[in-house]
Amino acid sequence: MLKEIKGRVWKFGDNIDTDAIYPGKCLPIIDPQEMAKHALEGYDKDFPNKIQKGDIILGGSNFGCGSSREQAATSLKYAGISCVIAKSFSRIFFRNAINQGLALVQSKEAYDLIKQGEVITVDYARGEIITENTKIGFPPLPEIVMGILEDGGLIEHLKKSLKK
Amino acid sequence: MRIPRKEELENLQKQYKTDRKIGQVLGVPAYLVAYWRRKKKIPKYALPKYSYAKIKELWETYGDDRKAGKELGISKAAFYKWRRKYILLEKPKVLKLAQLEFTLPGPRGGNNGGLTIAQKGLALKAGKNSVQVGEIVYVEPDLAMSHDNAGLVIKQFRQIGVSKVWNPDKIVIPLDHRAPAESEKTAEAHRSIRLFVKEQGIKNFYDIKEGICHQVVIEKGHILPGELAVGTDSHTTSYGCLGALSTGIGATEMAAVWATGKIWLRVPESLKLTINGSLPLGVYAKDVILYIIGQLTVEGANYKSVEFYGDTVSNMSVSERFTLANLSMEMGGKFAIVPFDNVTKKYLKGRTKKAYQPIFADENATYENEYEYNISRLEPQVACPHNVDNVKPVDEVKGMKIDQVLLGSCTNGRIDDLEIAARLLKGKKVHPDTRMLVLPGSKSIYLESLKRGIIKTFLEANCVVLNPGCGPCLGAHEGLLAKGEKCLATTNRNFKGRMGSAESEVYLASPATAAATAIRGEISDPRDFLKK
Repeated sequence: MLKEIKGRVWKFGDNIDTDAIYPGKCLPIIDPQEMAKHALEGYDKDFPNKIQKGDIILGGSNFGCGSSREQAATSLKYAGISCVIAKSFSRIFFRNAINQGLALVQSKEAYDLIKQGEVITVDYARGEIITENTKIGFPPLPEIVMGILEDGGLIEHLKKSLKK
Repeated sequence: MRIPRKEELENLQKQYKTDRKIGQVLGVPAYLVAYWRRKKKIPKYALPKYSYAKIKELWETYGDDRKAGKELGISKAAFYKWRRKYILLEKPKVLKLAQLEFTLPGPRGGNNGGLTIAQKGLALKAGKNSVQVGEIVYVEPDLAMSHDNAGLVIKQFRQIGVSKVWNPDKIVIPLDHRAPAESEKTAEAHRSIRLFVKEQGIKNFYDIKEGICHQVVIEKGHILPGELAVGTDSHTTSYGCLGALSTGIGATEMAAVWATGKIWLRVPESLKLTINGSLPLGVYAKDVILYIIGQLTVEGANYKSVEFYGDTVSNMSVSERFTLANLSMEMGGKFAIVPFDNVTKKYLKGRTKKAYQPIFADENATYENEYEYNISRLEPQVACPHNVDNVKPVDEVKGMKIDQVLLGSCTNGRIDDLEIAARLLKGKKVHPDTRMLVLPGSKSIYLESLKRGIIKTFLEANCVVLNPGCGPCLGAHEGLLAKGEKCLATTNRNFKGRMGSAESEVYLASPATAAATAIRGEISDPRDFLKK
């Protein structure tokens, strides 16, 4: 089971697209550590320097829309983002994040109840986001998705299942 | 002061309406005006009253205070007041737009027992009779497409610990995003791909010479009606133009497909879009789909399969249907399918010898939502920065100075797109303060354009013709934008910073609008040139 995730929240608006998360000019990079240096650079040039390990992203609707570039998810993960919470995710970003082992929570309610900079805890076992003032429930992810996430991503998940 | 006569008072009322205003003009209190009025048996001025139904109707039709107000002859602010009074605060998701004869039947609910194309296709691939929406199925794709990012797929594939790909004949790799290599990093990636395809016996590798991946896939007959494709590019939805189920995935997921030949997919909800009417002069498939995205929003089809019907679609070529399916991604579509018909059949003739089995939806299929459009009065559309659903009729943005015009991409880089642009540019020049780039979609399109004299027209008009590929569309190379520059492109995304500087702007439109814009150096209506 995934551990509890605790972190500081960065709040974003709706339709944060893949060009904002990971600009097209950085696509030739294949080292994930280097990708991390460009996380959310299209949104805010200084953002990669602002991220601390364990930070949580809180997005509006349609987070990660646009390109199929998985570097969007990879760069966030290697930059130290522990979890992305959003009202809704774009389809391909959702898959990419899970495949990279980046935890996601879909919650329509969380957005209005959590403030920028707040420190919150995401408890996957209970299906709850715990803030200073309240607890917000969220529905569990499908079994297959949870399996990949718990193994730390699709590559590890595959390695494990191919061993069997 | 003199008491005004009956006619005088009536005229004042016509002009100033309320007692208070008349009083102000005459310098007397409102009650005195009211007293005179009663004496002369003139009824009190009645404010026009608009019913809830009327205001609601107009709000749902236009979703815009200015336009709705205009209909009633009142100001933007006045309409807003009425709307607020009736608590119509949320902007309608889908507009009725009566003036365009658009109708919206709304959700038709319930489970009728029939299956959509997505349900049937996935059931077939999963070896089942039927699948439910929301069910997760494990399927083997008929096609696994990757472009330059195959370099990343290879890196991930090596980590899995499988030595051979599951089926080299089902993998197609065209190099197009950064072709020829714009940097050493890309050159290394291209080299690793060239070595890998040899090592694995992948025959369907197209080096930088061939063109844009999606265009190459359909031209070379790599995807057929009813088949399932996954690709490491979001616009893989394009193959729906041939009645295929196709969708984008990430590089790691593709590595897993190469290794195992399997992928999990959730059976999506489906939307049924029926488009009727003949395309007006200067209006193209691009305008239709931009308009629809404007209505349904950028997440209107997220996770969903979109099916296209109606006589407009039946009369469209595969190229035009490609544009519909391609841009459906920009409203989040998982699949975007134009069902197989004679147009598809004709296109495939000579491109494949393989047998194929088209898939059709059941008559009683259940859709999450059905929309009907009549486009016979549609105008050219422009998607403004920085979201593809920020769509406006060309009238509202025309006159805006444009630094660069880009004609090409998987969305609009085919022969009909180049031809219409050339028709407008013939004998004219691109405005001296504007530059125009042209990227034919593929080598075969390039050759055909040469044959038809289209390339000559472009060069004579001072366009820059680049090799087939994606280049500037995603800000990779060949024509990036500087701070403050504006580009009108026939491509598919106008996100902030998409084509270069984060302070540049991208407007999306049809090839005809692009050509008209290049000639005048400002956003222009293509109909101005077509009528002449």
